[in-house]
Amino acid sequence: MAAVELVDIYYERIYLFLRRLGHSRHVSEDLTQESFLQAWRHIGQLRDGAALNGWFYRIAANASKHYWRSRKGKEKAGVEGFEGVDRSESGDDKAAKLEDIDRLEEAMARLPIKLRQVVVLHYLEQLTIAEAAESAGVKEGTFKSRLNRALKALRNEMGS
Amino acid sequence: MEEEKLKKLFSELAEKTTEAVRPDLGDDIKGQIPHRLVPHRRGMDTINIIIDLRISKLTAAAAIIITMILCVNFLGGRGSTSGGIFHDGVLMMRYFLTGARVNESDLSAAKLKYEQLVGQGREAVYYGEGIDRQDSNAVLLHWKVSEGEYRVMFGDMREKTVSSEELIKLQAEMLQKSK
Repeated sequence: MAAVELVDIYYERIYLFLRRLGHSRHVSEDLTQESFLQAWRHIGQLRDGAALNGWFYRIAANASKHYWRSRKGKEKAGVEGFEGVDRSESGDDKAAKLEDIDRLEEAMARLPIKLRQVVVLHYLEQLTIAEAAESAGVKEGTFKSRLNRALKALRNEMGS
Repeated sequence: MEEEKLKKLFSELAEKTTEAVRPDLGDDIKGQIPHRLVPHRRGMDTINIIIDLRISKLTAAAAIIITMILCVNFLGGRGSTSGGIFHDGVLMMRYFLTGARVNESDLSAAKLKYEQLVGQGREAVYYGEGIDRQDSNAVLLHWKVSEGEYRVMFGDMREKTVSSEELIKLQAEMLQKSK
């Protein structure tokens, strides 16, 4: 059944996308459910199969945007850490790498939402530029420009 | 920091930020799928038709149907989901309430095909008498052919093989028209 398959394909991806945008587990679950409700409501807007990825992420991104807007100043992004991070491996290289990853995560949490979103979509969710731009609801040129700004900001923070 | 190193860190961060999702979340979401996008399970026809009617704001008609089912069952009449008095009652009410014309032989053929497919253990969905028969794109029946591929029988008895995305679009159109 197509609707059930859609849930199977996307629910974990959408949940992780929302977590990576900085929402807590509880909020990510709520927003994932909200995203699917919106999807059923607006499923007629789906243009073709190729647009499915971008369309679904866009719904989730909008749900996230509305959440942040409603909680403006009341909640910080990325306060709840991820489960299951393996820090058992020893060695200086490993420790240094983990430290770099932590710093990158912290630097991303400090980015403005729009910039954090483009990085998550393209680098963490691994969407193509076209899909990621569709998800962010902007043209490809705008998306690339935001991505460059985000990378520059992250490079500056990481380099310092 | 070099771009390559940053990209590598992103990929490691993606790995780090992968965590187990609550196992019930998928089931919770599936439970919220609108009725018209969910397969009608065998033996659930009565309940589904009543839900369809409620969605269409025909609560009065639903109440009449429930009363008829109770009467039929109480008096030991014919099975309520295999045609008979109940089925005739639904058709009669649809005629009075919506003026819909229903080609009985087409519906019976589709229903028979659905029963055969389910009997063969195939994943099939029958949308029943609730569809708009004037709408040539209304899906009357569909069944899974292979992964991501479905065979669809439309209201005008046309058949076509579609992808899961195309099927979602067809279902979405039905959903919108039913509003």
